[in-house]
Amino acid sequence: MPNMLWLQGGACSGNTMSFLNAEEPSACDLVTDFGINVLWHPSLGLELGENLQKMLNGLVSGEIPLDIFVFEGSVVNAPNGTGQWNRFAGRAMKDWVSDLCKVAGYVVAVGDCATWGGIPATAPNPSDSQGLQFLKRSHGGYLGTGYTSKAGLPVINVPGCPAHPDWITQIVVAVATGRGGELTLDEFQRPKTFFTSFTQTGCTRNMHFAYKVSATEFGQRKGCLFYDLGCRGPMTHSPCNRILWNRQSSKTRAGMPCMGCTEPEFPFFDLAPGTVFKTQTVMGVPKDMPTGVDKSGYIKLTAAAKAASPRWAEEDIFVV
Amino acid sequence: MSAAVQTLDISPVGRVEGDLDIRVDIENGVVVNAWAQAEMFRGFEVILRDKDPQAGLVVTPRACGICGASHLTCAAWALDTAFKSEVPRNAILARNLGQITESLQSLPRHHYGLFMIDYTHKNYSKSRYYEEAVRRWSPFTGTNYEHGVTISGRPVEIYALLGGQWPHSSYMVPGGVMCAPTLTDVTRAWAILEHFRRNWIEPMWLGCSLERYEEIRSYDDFLAWLDEKPEHANSDLGMFWRMSLDIGLDKYGKGHGKFVTWGYLPHEDKYSKPTIESRNRSLRMKSGVYVGETDTHALMEERFIREDIDRAWYDEKSGQHPFDRVTKPIQQNDMDHDGRYSWSTAVRHEDNGRLEAGALARQLVNGGSHGEDWQHTDPLVLDMYRKLGGASVALRHFARMHEGVKLYREAEHCLREFRLNDPWYVKPTERDGQGWGATEAIRGALCHWIEVENGKIKNYQIIAPTTWNVGPRSDSGELGPIEEALIGTPIADTSDPVEVGHVARSYDSCLVCTVHAHDAKTGEELARFRTA
Repeated sequence: MPNMLWLQGGACSGNTMSFLNAEEPSACDLVTDFGINVLWHPSLGLELGENLQKMLNGLVSGEIPLDIFVFEGSVVNAPNGTGQWNRFAGRAMKDWVSDLCKVAGYVVAVGDCATWGGIPATAPNPSDSQGLQFLKRSHGGYLGTGYTSKAGLPVINVPGCPAHPDWITQIVVAVATGRGGELTLDEFQRPKTFFTSFTQTGCTRNMHFAYKVSATEFGQRKGCLFYDLGCRGPMTHSPCNRILWNRQSSKTRAGMPCMGCTEPEFPFFDLAPGTVFKTQTVMGVPKDMPTGVDKSGYIKLTAAAKAASPRWAEEDIFVV
Repeated sequence: MSAAVQTLDISPVGRVEGDLDIRVDIENGVVVNAWAQAEMFRGFEVILRDKDPQAGLVVTPRACGICGASHLTCAAWALDTAFKSEVPRNAILARNLGQITESLQSLPRHHYGLFMIDYTHKNYSKSRYYEEAVRRWSPFTGTNYEHGVTISGRPVEIYALLGGQWPHSSYMVPGGVMCAPTLTDVTRAWAILEHFRRNWIEPMWLGCSLERYEEIRSYDDFLAWLDEKPEHANSDLGMFWRMSLDIGLDKYGKGHGKFVTWGYLPHEDKYSKPTIESRNRSLRMKSGVYVGETDTHALMEERFIREDIDRAWYDEKSGQHPFDRVTKPIQQNDMDHDGRYSWSTAVRHEDNGRLEAGALARQLVNGGSHGEDWQHTDPLVLDMYRKLGGASVALRHFARMHEGVKLYREAEHCLREFRLNDPWYVKPTERDGQGWGATEAIRGALCHWIEVENGKIKNYQIIAPTTWNVGPRSDSGELGPIEEALIGTPIADTSDPVEVGHVARSYDSCLVCTVHAHDAKTGEELARFRTA
């Protein structure tokens, strides 16, 4: 019966809320079907008062085994490296994190704040936030480049703002059923099984991308969101259009540009004036190309696409 | 904190969502003083400074993952009032529907996941309802806990049809919404709503039809409904109310008896040219302030807001309107109960002082006769407030759950009113100016102020329901609403003060709550004040 502890640092609870939308398995199934012993969770924990204090201390001393430590939210270091801007149970949260990571079997960072700092770490990063093992793209973060948990793995990063509930539950189930050793991680320590394909993989607007038919404004019934509205689907690694959200849809399907929230740079360009929901271009060519495509390739591709574009592609396709 | 105080640090309590410490002094088994300490600062207002005018659409839903749709609603309306956009009728409905489905989601999730767990506490083992409470409401394994928490994910499937995902979409933008739903989106949304009604609201929560429940207009009607059938008395609502009275939750958690709501759900035909001034007369659910002592209602306006910061960790002028604030955090956030002790400001109405935000406030306000005659009114909760002698833990939570049926009807209204072939978005012209957007998150009054200058954000300010409720003392010494509501709370076991948890959780503040209880007689005052 693996023990799981879930704590929140500089967090909005968005990943917890996302996790509670899980269905296969649901949060309750994790307990009843997979025997996960949820030691405590900020929204769900039953233990109160002295019991919680005792439990935390028991975990730190090794008396109670901590099989899975899930962390949501950024590690807050302000002010001056003390972490006092985020206190929990009388201590800086970052001190609890250090102690618990030393004894944990697996450490799972859930959501962008815990993986790379996320929104709180957006310039000027007032709370001096870091992710557990990254700050944006730079490796290290709060725990340092050399950190590995007792199972020999670095922090398992499940990014996204929020992470999809299935990405979280499937990792937890893999660990709980003894398959943690089969997890393979990419250069940003994301499970490859989820983060090798692109957000665009499976998008309903792929034909419009291929024929370079653009959605020039919101609320249209056709068109790809990449060319004008700043969509990052072709260069963002996530399964958002393979494993749908809330069992129904995805942002790009609904007409919202992908913001690249599973990548370390989110929010891109630090939300500088002129960058929100607008494709950044140089001489009419997007600054950020679909992954692996170079500028001359892009120009040839889109010229051919335009030339080949069938008439139906210019007409509404997602009709009433 | 000093060692002396840590030995008195009794109870970190979860399930309030976030980071909040509540410190209480207990004398003869009763809370005699309280301090609410918000312990986490991320600096969203600081992050938004100098950013793209639309950055709030991305950043503010991430202020709170539980009320993200509400933040997005405020961010979009704030930009609309600043840009002077036109917002098409369909977009008003699509924003409202997103807001409503987030709130419907929160009802069973908060009720089972956060609130009812406490009814299984050993403190209540002598209650005649205890055994049944444990069977239904035990975390993870309780029959109704599991069903309620799992089904809470369904309403936001409708949000996903509009915005792609919940939480954290940004589908509401100045000038409308990003989506253009099709007929299948609407029919699917109807099916999801129906599922929620047939599998939770009617069989488990009410034990009757929506129509029967809607006949209840007074406390007497409610009591008659409870007695009418065993299905009513044994429903989760019936059990909640009977057990709450049995364990005395109608006896404490009173608070200031002054309430605020911004109102919400702008009428689809009345707010397509949104301005700050015209908002009050455009809302389906009206705004207002209710003062219990004088039993009076009045409209609420953003210009009445003041933020006191003398007891909070900010270094700026106190008592300002949010448009004048600069959000300058104090680096060294030492805990000083005589001085500064929170990251939350003390929000007040310039005339009425501290006000309680939340579902109870909304229900008390919509019992009033102020506002437009076409706006929604419902006398039930106001009648209960008068007959039961004011607010309490039980009434506050009742008000929250009572809203569910109305929200359900409002969701139906949106789905009926969509004209699918009409526009969903009218591209606005970005311009400089001041804007304000407001709504009611399930847990209370939420609003955003924005000032755009030279094409970027000069100032962005947020006042959340939790800011209203968990704020520290005001400059004049008036306690924050939760602080006030804690006073008089009876504590059966000082080593496990579940009663303090009840009060905090009845406000549904978006902060994980830690309780530190102190003996008022033996807890040495000097030591207590030197806790940093």
